[in-house]
Amino acid sequence: MMTRQNVRRFVSIPLFGALLLAVGCGGSSSPVATPAQSIANTSANVQPISVNLGPTGNYPDGVFTSVTVCAPGSTTNCQVIDNVLVDTGSFGLRVVGSALGSLALNQEIVNGNPLAECFSYVDGTYNWGPVQTADVQISGELASSVPIQVLDDAFSVIPSATCTGTPNDTAATLGANGILGVGPVQYDCGSSCTSNIPAVDQYYQCSTIAPSSSVVTSAALNLQVQNPVSLFATDNNGVIVELPAITAPQATLTGSLVFGIGTQSNNGLGSATVVPMDPNSLTFSTNFQNTNMTGSFVDSGSNALYFDSSSSSLPECSDVTFYCPTSTANLSAVNSGTGGTASVDFTVFNADQLFTTVDAALPGLAGPSDGSFTSFDWGLPFFFGRNVYTSIEGKPAPGGTTPYWAYPPN
Amino acid sequence: MMRILTYFRQKPTRSAVPLAGIALLLLALPFTASAELGGDATSVLADQAHMKATLKTTQTGTYTVHEIQAPSGTVVREYVSPVGKVFAVAWRGPFLPDLHQVLGASFTPFTQAAQAQKRQRTGRGPVVVQQDGLVVKSAGHARNYFGKAYLPELLPQGVSAEDIR
Repeated sequence: MMTRQNVRRFVSIPLFGALLLAVGCGGSSSPVATPAQSIANTSANVQPISVNLGPTGNYPDGVFTSVTVCAPGSTTNCQVIDNVLVDTGSFGLRVVGSALGSLALNQEIVNGNPLAECFSYVDGTYNWGPVQTADVQISGELASSVPIQVLDDAFSVIPSATCTGTPNDTAATLGANGILGVGPVQYDCGSSCTSNIPAVDQYYQCSTIAPSSSVVTSAALNLQVQNPVSLFATDNNGVIVELPAITAPQATLTGSLVFGIGTQSNNGLGSATVVPMDPNSLTFSTNFQNTNMTGSFVDSGSNALYFDSSSSSLPECSDVTFYCPTSTANLSAVNSGTGGTASVDFTVFNADQLFTTVDAALPGLAGPSDGSFTSFDWGLPFFFGRNVYTSIEGKPAPGGTTPYWAYPPN
Repeated sequence: MMRILTYFRQKPTRSAVPLAGIALLLLALPFTASAELGGDATSVLADQAHMKATLKTTQTGTYTVHEIQAPSGTVVREYVSPVGKVFAVAWRGPFLPDLHQVLGASFTPFTQAAQAQKRQRTGRGPVVVQQDGLVVKSAGHARNYFGKAYLPELLPQGVSAEDIR
């Protein structure tokens, strides 16, 4: 999907800019200009990523990468899976079953029965399929025997009473061959799934004796689908998503997914400002138009900025899912968590005009949230031109208590 | 839970019902409950096992709110009109409630509309379904979900969409 040469070419311009700035500032400790963005070159902890339209060809502002999934312990019994969505808003790897081909993984077992998961989404769809362990390789990093979800409607019996809605388990419906959840925690359910009667109906044990059935079960943390980054031997305390700035739609856009924060020479915090998040809701507060939206978050897996606006300058498009300002809106907000605050200047373009192109990378794509003025979803357009750090809970990282997000000042 | 209550206090008081006029009825009922959008108020007591939840009821001048908190921490608020119909629901918390349960007969039209939107353009973000007879807005990400749904034709007089939260 992306050649090494392409990455190099992309990287050279920002690096040159950073060099000029360093010379111009003469080593001053209080630069007045924002440092130019530097996108990491190919390295053992750097995975190329690409904003393209995905396997269905109709996915704007989605960022994809490839992962190598191997049978545990094997370096040859592997399958490279491309077009996997890079999602800092979820935790763990989910892959469409058919993308694995003939590769067999190790089935997780609970009470002698195969373990499966039903993971629900806000649009009334769900992922269904078995939880299996795999060795997951991304760039030069390896997560050994990590539980992943293999999306497969044909696996056992979907428990229709509690796993409700529309299955979303093929590349055609998912718009991707999988989802790489590299968000701020390790376990996709956590303690809500570990008690004998779990608080959440998410994990199921599937009887293999006829008639087969799937029954809600608890799932110990080590059995749960997990963020593979947290299982890397090193560079396991977070990720940086690095995508260049754009001021107009681009057919495609390439960048880097860097593993680790402050663990290598290419992943230091630099001038980035840390915004801590609430460790339970994984949110901070965004002050926008004099409203504190306390349930705000950063999410590379959201394909637009989603927020409610009281401004008449941001009318909704006719389809009510995006904003269509008559002229480009230049806006600003302030993100704050306990002990950290950082402002954000951002732009909202007219979505109908953006969609007249067939380009994948659309700057300033934005739309309304649920009308409650409680949440600002900083989706992929926020990442264009900013190196965005997502640290992982429980993993020490420079800059303060994890989990946090960090990004460079305006 | 605290987060949610805090949020309710912070909201601009666009409600037609002043906060001071709200009578709190704390029902210490040892039951679990969930009504569904468009259902009868009596259905609050149905499906007791489904959410394994606690219930708090708030009475205003024009409607009753049943606030149901599931063990996961997710709160579902169900708005019941004077004629005893659930005209709106709202949810907020770390895990999605069972939207099929909460939306009732409106779930299928909701998912069909959401699917139609996705066929046109794939993506991940909030879902807004706005039809003459049904409005659903569903958003959030892992550990932080929120949304609301209402039946415009069943909204009691003087109640607006902003009151549902």
